Amino acid sequence: MNENQHIVSAYDRDLEGVQALIVKMGGLVETAIADCSKALELRDEDLAQQVRAGDKAIDGLLEQINEETARVIALRAPTASDLRVVLSVMKMSNNLERIGDYAKNIAKRAGVLLQMTPIDGSAGAVRRMTREVELMLKDALDAYIQRDAELAAVVIQRDKEVDQMYNALFREFLTFMMEDPRNITACMHLHFIAKNIERMGDHVTALAEQVIYVSTGKLPEEDRPKADSTPYETHGDPVAGDN
Amino acid sequence: MYDNPNLERKVAQNETKISARNVQVFYGDSQAIKDVNIEIEARTVTAFIGPSGCGKSTFLRCLNRMNDTIDICRVEGEINLDGENIYDKRVDPVQLRAKVGMVFQKPNPFPKSIYDNIAYGPRIHGLAKNKADLDEIVEKALRRGAIWNEVKDRLHAPGTGLSGGQQQRLCIARAVATEPEVLLMDEPCSALDPIATSQVEELIDELREQYAVVIVTHSMQQAARVSQKTAFFHLGNLVEYGDTGQIFTNPKDPRTESYITGRIG
Repeated sequence: MNENQHIVSAYDRDLEGVQALIVKMGGLVETAIADCSKALELRDEDLAQQVRAGDKAIDGLLEQINEETARVIALRAPTASDLRVVLSVMKMSNNLERIGDYAKNIAKRAGVLLQMTPIDGSAGAVRRMTREVELMLKDALDAYIQRDAELAAVVIQRDKEVDQMYNALFREFLTFMMEDPRNITACMHLHFIAKNIERMGDHVTALAEQVIYVSTGKLPEEDRPKADSTPYETHGDPVAGDN
Repeated sequence: MYDNPNLERKVAQNETKISARNVQVFYGDSQAIKDVNIEIEARTVTAFIGPSGCGKSTFLRCLNRMNDTIDICRVEGEINLDGENIYDKRVDPVQLRAKVGMVFQKPNPFPKSIYDNIAYGPRIHGLAKNKADLDEIVEKALRRGAIWNEVKDRLHAPGTGLSGGQQQRLCIARAVATEPEVLLMDEPCSALDPIATSQVEELIDELREQYAVVIVTHSMQQAARVSQKTAFFHLGNLVEYGDTGQIFTNPKDPRTESYITGRIG
């Protein structure tokens, strides 16, 4: 962003205000991701409940950001980098809100799962995947604050890893379900959890794209990385090797 | 970035109407314009923006040799209208100004009737063979100035009796009456209220079908609203010239960015 101040200093305060909101929202969402993962792993219903309740604050911030950005557009008619700031805040707030929803959904399923027998090995894998998305979000938000398009580009690339982890888990859950139908309920929940995390990664990617847009004025040109088509294959023989 | 889908803003063809090469303008010893190169396109609204004293009005006035009237003003370089240098000795500035019309900041109707305001140019340029011809030219110009319906019943009332916005549209009609090819507008709306401003902006958009319109404006929002091309001047330099959409969303030069976002540059 341009380091120079606006002649009308209230304009600077408005722009800083909406950006402070997005950073605050980002912080809440980061915490939600970490906590839902922890609640799942430690089978901690209180923490899961906390995440479910915490989503209201995230939704409230989205509403506040919508109002503030509409006001800035109406009153200040932002142009160039200022316009990009406002547009990126609007889009990023939607992405963050969706990530918050996924965290809430994970927390709900965590509540259900703790009434069932744990599936061996699943907790660690889900935790690693969540951790990766959480770190990606942290880096994307840091990149936003520092207007670091390079860091944002790295975040986008890292989504590949999350997709791979999801595909690996997908196969693993399928195997568990085939081995013992009593695992199906738990595995279905775990699968939705893994899918939620994978979708979080996509939203973080979209967020990182906004960082590139706000810093450079251009959206990244190449398509997002697509690594694996596992979920779209028919699994007559699910353990028959690595694609 | 994808192509701008807003077709209305697309320039149909990049036919150059005015081409300026290495233009420098001096007022006595001080240099007001430094080596400006620009190609102004036909059937396009081009906006000149920039802070006060940046040279945008001076440059605009070069385009129909209005600076000739200022003794200490000296213009160097070349300005071509349809490939012909307008500063060539053989060019008659009066004929040139019939081709390159101008509308000023403050509406300045002649202290004559509405009819005579319009008829003045066509008369001195001998564009009408007879009274009926002239009547037709006057009506056409007033229609093109989007003011016909408001004045058709009082063509012989004084032009100075109209409201500010009507006077400005009368001046635009007067400028188009001589069938110009280029219309220069120096802050045409700065003395008008928002409604009259919108009417003039709508008119500018209609005029674009036939003329190259060059508008100097201090209102960046106006430049954004009416123009397809924008040129940003700063301290006598042409800093950046490009599609209006690009200038207002992603300017290349940091000085342009500072100016259009309202920062101290």
